[in-house]
Amino acid sequence: MSTDTDPNAEADAPRFDRVDWEAYAGGRTGRVSTTTKLFALTVAPIVALAGYDRVAAGERETVFDAFAAATDLPLQAFGLDFAVTAVDYAFAATLLLFVWYLVVPLFQHPRIASHYWRRFKRNRPALVSLAWLFVVFGGGLLGPLVLNAPEQNILAGHQPPVGLTVAEANVPQCVGEVADGRCGGTWEYPLGTTRGGVGVFTGVVYGMTISMKIAFITTTIVAGIGITVGTVSAYAGGWVDEVAMRAVDIVLSFPTLLFFLLVLYVYGAGLGMFIVVFSLFGWGGTARYVRSKALSVSEEEFVKAGRLSGASTRRVVRRHVVPNTASSIITQLTLLIPGFLLAEAQLAFLGLGDSSIASWGQLIAAGRSDLAFAPWIVLAPGIVLFLTILAFNFLGDALLDAVDPEATTEAER
Amino acid sequence: MSDAPLLSVRDLTKHYTTTRGGLFSRETNRIRAVDGVSFDIHPGEALGLVGESGCGKSTTASSVLRLTEPTAGDVIFNGGGRGGAGRNDDGTHPNDVTRFDRNELKAFRRDAQLIFQDPASSFDPRLSVGASIAELPLVHGMTDAERRRAIVEDLLERVGLSADEYDRYPHEFSGGEKQRLALARALVLNPDLLVADEPVSALDVSVQADILRLIDDLRAEFGLSVLFISHDISVVREVCDRTAVMYLGEIVEVGPTEAVFETPQHPYTEALLSAVPTLDPRSSGDHIRLTGSVPSPADPPSGCRFHTRCHRVIQPDGIDLDQSVWRRVLDFRERVVAGEIDSASVRERVRVGEASPGPPAGRSERAAADDTEVGGPDTDDAARVRAAYDLPATFRDPDVDRAVADAVAALLSGDDARAAETLAEAFTTPCADHAPEFTTHSDGHRAACLRHRPDLPGGMGVFDAE
Repeated sequence: MSTDTDPNAEADAPRFDRVDWEAYAGGRTGRVSTTTKLFALTVAPIVALAGYDRVAAGERETVFDAFAAATDLPLQAFGLDFAVTAVDYAFAATLLLFVWYLVVPLFQHPRIASHYWRRFKRNRPALVSLAWLFVVFGGGLLGPLVLNAPEQNILAGHQPPVGLTVAEANVPQCVGEVADGRCGGTWEYPLGTTRGGVGVFTGVVYGMTISMKIAFITTTIVAGIGITVGTVSAYAGGWVDEVAMRAVDIVLSFPTLLFFLLVLYVYGAGLGMFIVVFSLFGWGGTARYVRSKALSVSEEEFVKAGRLSGASTRRVVRRHVVPNTASSIITQLTLLIPGFLLAEAQLAFLGLGDSSIASWGQLIAAGRSDLAFAPWIVLAPGIVLFLTILAFNFLGDALLDAVDPEATTEAER
Repeated sequence: MSDAPLLSVRDLTKHYTTTRGGLFSRETNRIRAVDGVSFDIHPGEALGLVGESGCGKSTTASSVLRLTEPTAGDVIFNGGGRGGAGRNDDGTHPNDVTRFDRNELKAFRRDAQLIFQDPASSFDPRLSVGASIAELPLVHGMTDAERRRAIVEDLLERVGLSADEYDRYPHEFSGGEKQRLALARALVLNPDLLVADEPVSALDVSVQADILRLIDDLRAEFGLSVLFISHDISVVREVCDRTAVMYLGEIVEVGPTEAVFETPQHPYTEALLSAVPTLDPRSSGDHIRLTGSVPSPADPPSGCRFHTRCHRVIQPDGIDLDQSVWRRVLDFRERVVAGEIDSASVRERVRVGEASPGPPAGRSERAAADDTEVGGPDTDDAARVRAAYDLPATFRDPDVDRAVADAVAALLSGDDARAAETLAEAFTTPCADHAPEFTTHSDGHRAACLRHRPDLPGGMGVFDAE
């Protein structure tokens, strides 16, 4: 065995048997990764803005107005003139989380990413679903910057969508052309308008933002709590496991809807409250899945190999166990998101939602009384909601097949 | 290199306790997976550990590496510059792996590594194989990513792969390639000891030979010591300098590979060897068939653990039967005592026997059997019972014959307890009463069998006396 420790010889040809491991021993290896640094760097301005909002901006002033006034920057010109809520800050931070820990790693490892993509591509409905979700995501993200916020205009109420007509008697004032006593739709309101004259198209696009906020923020909270509780429970065992799993039982059997109604009567129910309440009681199933998956993964030989490498349990769990529970987490989450979206829509339809936001549920609720002659008010957001939920379900299925390593080995056996 | 062994395992024991039942009716079960195993591995040496599956080989391996915490025993590892240390005053050893603290254990991980049995699951499917291998240097403090990559790429070439396979993923490799990768991972920290747990049993025979040759080459090049675990004797024969044979948590024979396989001194080794298919047409006749099932490690047999299946099980004074008949008598006794054979099952067998044309004759002493056939329905049934359980219709030894006849009669009359008692009294073997100790046969060749002890009845000191 060579114990050559000459640094020059080592530098010439790095060979495993010429390394003096004693010299390395004790070195710190738990350094913060580049991704984490970049994430911290990008999330810092958001946190700073939120802090500024809290400290410096006035009651009736949006944070951008306050900031523009203080610094003379023409922020309004970039469309940054809307009021920023706590949900928006959370949404932005969540998006960054997804970019740095999901999108960037996929680009960093093109080989495995293309492998996943090849397997994902086989599922046609999932491809269409992905495209649709991109539309919803893009519309939700960029729509509010392009389109003006939905505005009431009583005179333009009940306008029909493009290509459809409605009896003139039902319309306060026809924006388009009137023929044979029927009012035609115009491109000004491609999907028609509500009773209050709010463009349904604008409403649907703004609803995309709300839906994306719900999807991303709840996912993050549920995944965060579920993965932590699940893996800690699986690895700690004993009474920790017992306590955690009983907590899961409580969470799963908790009457979340009734609790939300209670909160609603006491504090009022904004979108933020909805997200917090529903995701704080929505992680039970995820934690249980993650726990069982982590238990089975920890029996795999590569986890033993991780322990044999001398790595700490924390490192083994983070590097090997959690990533390999991803398939069950993803399915679980893609099945949860539709549940949250539906819950929001249902509450809004019952008039229990946040009436200050333009969610799909609010739009549907606004059109329910005019269903007889203006079905587009309900149908347009209803169909969009339906398609989005369907897309999440298809996507979950396809992702499970694409990402599950078990499926890989079985397919190649 | 000094004469001190690199690895010295003493009385290694691993018992698993399983608890069944609820809060009030706890039932603990002790599985003696490994029960007092001792062996040495010298620097540069390859020791094979063979035995049937479930005999505790893999548990031994993971206990030696402290992947599982052993229940008792010492694992003294003198590699990685730890050599020359003596025992402390209180009998503990500074190099005892079972007493290593966190830091010592982490340092030990650099010096002893493992190759797993299943190449399919030994790599994280979500990491490139290069990243998986390079994780070890990272964990041990090498933060320079380029250096890690260079080392791993060099190593990939050494195990017969190419450097640009660093970025590929486990699913892109065949079983044999994965086992090469596993070797690379095991070697990347430059260990002194390599534990190979059935490294080739999941591979095709043609690939097996390649991997074995690679292990052999690397062992020679880097002076590795290898603990090679396998159920396949031919594989162990190929790579190992010395071989230890394990049965039910104990080592029954250990010695130089040639000596163990040419002149086996333990009946279990003999049986294992005869199970290996050979091309020699002359050897096909003396196939040793192990009777009975492998006993549960939760309740191992008393005395010599192999006595319930041994084809050379010792006959007590006063009994002189054909060895194969003696084995069958003992099997019968064992099953009656264990309650596997009771009056109900005996009657069932008799009924089946009646349905078939004519009572089957016993295997030996057929003429005598024919005589007893006309004795009436009772003797008829008794003959059927004997035939059903592979016993001869009559024994030459009248005492033996009477005992068996009494037991069969008792079974037929429904008195299970008396049958068990009769058999247990009549047939005993010293193997069940005495735990064998190791006897030395030639240089370093030791076996634990009572037949090597001349002071015992039936023991003859020399094994092949028959």
